[in-house]
Amino acid sequence: MTISGSLSSALSGLTAAAKAAEVVSSNIANATTEGYGRREVITTPRAVGSTGQGVKIVGVHRHVDPVLLGDRRLAQAATAERETRADFLRRLEQAIGTPDSAVSLASRIAELDSALLQAASLPDSEARLSRVADTARHLTRQFASAAQAIQDARMTADDRIEADVDLVNRSLVRIAELNAGIRATYSGARDPSALIDQRQALIDSIAAVVPLREIDRGHGQIALVTQGGAVLLDGAPARLGFDPAGVITAEMSLDQGSLSGLTLNGRPLSSRPDGPVQGGRLAALFELRDQLAPAAQAQLDAVARDLVERFADPAADPSLLPGQAGLFTDAGGDFLPEAEAGLSQRLTLNAAVDPAAGGALWRLRDGIGSATPGPPGRAAGLLALQSALVAPRQPASGQFMAGTRSLAALQADLLSSVAADRLTAESEATYSAARHEALRQMELSAGVDTDQEIQSLLLVEQAYSANAKVVQTIGQMIDTLLGM
Amino acid sequence: MPLVSFGDLAQSNLLRQQGAAAKARIAQLSQELTQGRASDTARHVQGDLGPLLAVDSSLARLTGYEALTRETGLFAAAMQTGLSNIATLSLDAGNGLITASGTASTAHVRAASIAATSALGSVLTTLNARFGDRSLFAGEATASPAIGSFDTLMSALEGAVAGLTSAADVAQALDDWFAAPDGFGTFYQGGAPLSALPIAEGETVAITVTAADPALRDTLKSLAMASLISRGSFEATPGLAHDIARRAGEALLTGETDRSYLAAGLGAAEARIAEATTRNSAETTALQIARAGLVAVDPYDTATRLQDSEAQLQMVFTLTARLSRLNLTDYL
Repeated sequence: MTISGSLSSALSGLTAAAKAAEVVSSNIANATTEGYGRREVITTPRAVGSTGQGVKIVGVHRHVDPVLLGDRRLAQAATAERETRADFLRRLEQAIGTPDSAVSLASRIAELDSALLQAASLPDSEARLSRVADTARHLTRQFASAAQAIQDARMTADDRIEADVDLVNRSLVRIAELNAGIRATYSGARDPSALIDQRQALIDSIAAVVPLREIDRGHGQIALVTQGGAVLLDGAPARLGFDPAGVITAEMSLDQGSLSGLTLNGRPLSSRPDGPVQGGRLAALFELRDQLAPAAQAQLDAVARDLVERFADPAADPSLLPGQAGLFTDAGGDFLPEAEAGLSQRLTLNAAVDPAAGGALWRLRDGIGSATPGPPGRAAGLLALQSALVAPRQPASGQFMAGTRSLAALQADLLSSVAADRLTAESEATYSAARHEALRQMELSAGVDTDQEIQSLLLVEQAYSANAKVVQTIGQMIDTLLGM
Repeated sequence: MPLVSFGDLAQSNLLRQQGAAAKARIAQLSQELTQGRASDTARHVQGDLGPLLAVDSSLARLTGYEALTRETGLFAAAMQTGLSNIATLSLDAGNGLITASGTASTAHVRAASIAATSALGSVLTTLNARFGDRSLFAGEATASPAIGSFDTLMSALEGAVAGLTSAADVAQALDDWFAAPDGFGTFYQGGAPLSALPIAEGETVAITVTAADPALRDTLKSLAMASLISRGSFEATPGLAHDIARRAGEALLTGETDRSYLAAGLGAAEARIAEATTRNSAETTALQIARAGLVAVDPYDTATRLQDSEAQLQMVFTLTARLSRLNLTDYL
């Protein structure tokens, strides 16, 4: 036990206190920084030979709960996935139009129905016939705009996939750089906490895109593997590839090769919802583009086909030959069952009854195929058209329950199934968001607590004063010795 | 690790979440309260929009029926007025002819015939009447007049009865002309009777009266027969004018029954239209009530929940203010 030993102990105490103050100040400075892991100075008694002398700073510990972090990231991915799906279904519902909407498919069908009845009341009135033509044209536009909204959703999804893939690629490169940086601090015994914070923030930024598992590779190194088993980072970063299509039409699909899938380091990677990228926003966007939206388009096309076939029936309009287009045409031509895909966009009012296209309104009354106008007071043709609209009929295509129904009821089935899907997706998204929020709340509660930091700062202050006092006292002792 | 601290961010995050949730709820509830209906109808009806859409589509169809009942009703009423006009004219002319044929005076018979001629002109005008822009008695050919002109009729008939000397022959000639496709068949310029029109769900009414109806045709025939007297067709044979006048008068009086049946049939159609109108408007009201029931929210319930959310938001604000003052640095 020597005086210089005591001085050394006191000095180590001063150093430790200074380091602790530095850490506390860093914690307080970052009290509102998300992703900042609270630091703590770890000290241990310093041993010189067999005797203890002073305090030794072992290092700075960064508090983080890896299990909680992993769970939170998975919840984040699940939330993003479900919200993407719910968002699409919400847009689809709006595109078809609900009873709340000012304009909807249902209201357009109802308008055509009442316009036909009103025209039957005064078959010789040009205004009434013109209203039938107008409402029929509006109905085709409503189909087209709903179908366009579906294809727009696919295009948006395609763009967002590109943005997400880009984000993942850039983040992976930077995470790999940070990994290297962290390794360097390990060998140089510097504090890597700031780098780890940055790396965590980067991983968090892509956690919503694909659910990730972080695997510890020692020396502060991590590997990133998706929940579905694709290795995104292990030493070197992987590179995801995607080729956006730009404009998407109803006929384009992944299976045909007209839309791009994913590649990982140049090799094809399944983008299916049960594939290696499952469970995140990326998978949801692919599901939207390749499954949900095409299925919705197919259902809408089935309703459009039902509409076309109702009026193409010679029973509704005896002037038509079997197979000939009635009031509604497929882009001006006859409808062919094999060309059903994308019919909603191509639906047009028959030019024969459209004055704007060189047709004549009286053909609404006397039949599309009529060469000359019939008696102006004959309502039978208009009534037959109205019956064709409301007659129970089995839809020829689409995923509908077996059974006959009117066009309005068929549309109601379509909208109800979309609304039910939307509600389910929304409640799933709400559940996921609540779980994510709870986990995030737990994560945040383990973050910086300024009150606690101030409290430790008080202790540090005391320790610093005490150590300084010791140095002062030892100085006096040495002065005493020297002054003898 | 035991929890010895509670992160600052956790606290503010919690309050922010609660505040945002309460605000969103208040916005939704106040919208529902002011509009009186659920802000998300699909959620309100648990995703099954079928019944609501069925109500909407029935309501739209009822507006179509409204036009049908209103316009068909007016059309039938205009026809009914025409028919009663024809009935009065025919009855007056018939009575005049019978009375005149009972006297020995040729001048009297001639005067009755002139009256019948003017009645015929009025009947023809009535049959050619238009309601708005539509011919009333022309069936489906609503754009054209129902029947030809008085002069056409009379010159055709004068030709048909020329040289005939007995009342029975004259009557037969007129019967033949009115039954012939190139006789009355071309004189009638209208089309087939109007088709039946729907006036309510599953209910149709047919206004089938045209100028070619047998009751109206026989009326025309009798009036024309009487009119021929004043045009001098029967002056060559003494007493024939009297016979013709009696026959025509009798036919006009017996034809009254058929004309009444015609008017009664039209009246029955009018009554059905009126009934359908009442039923449709009752149905509209019932459907509107049903629709409101499907989408409406209980204002008491909504207001109560709005009050709850308001109290909750106030609590969040109070807590935010209190907790932000509660930190150690203020006490050191």
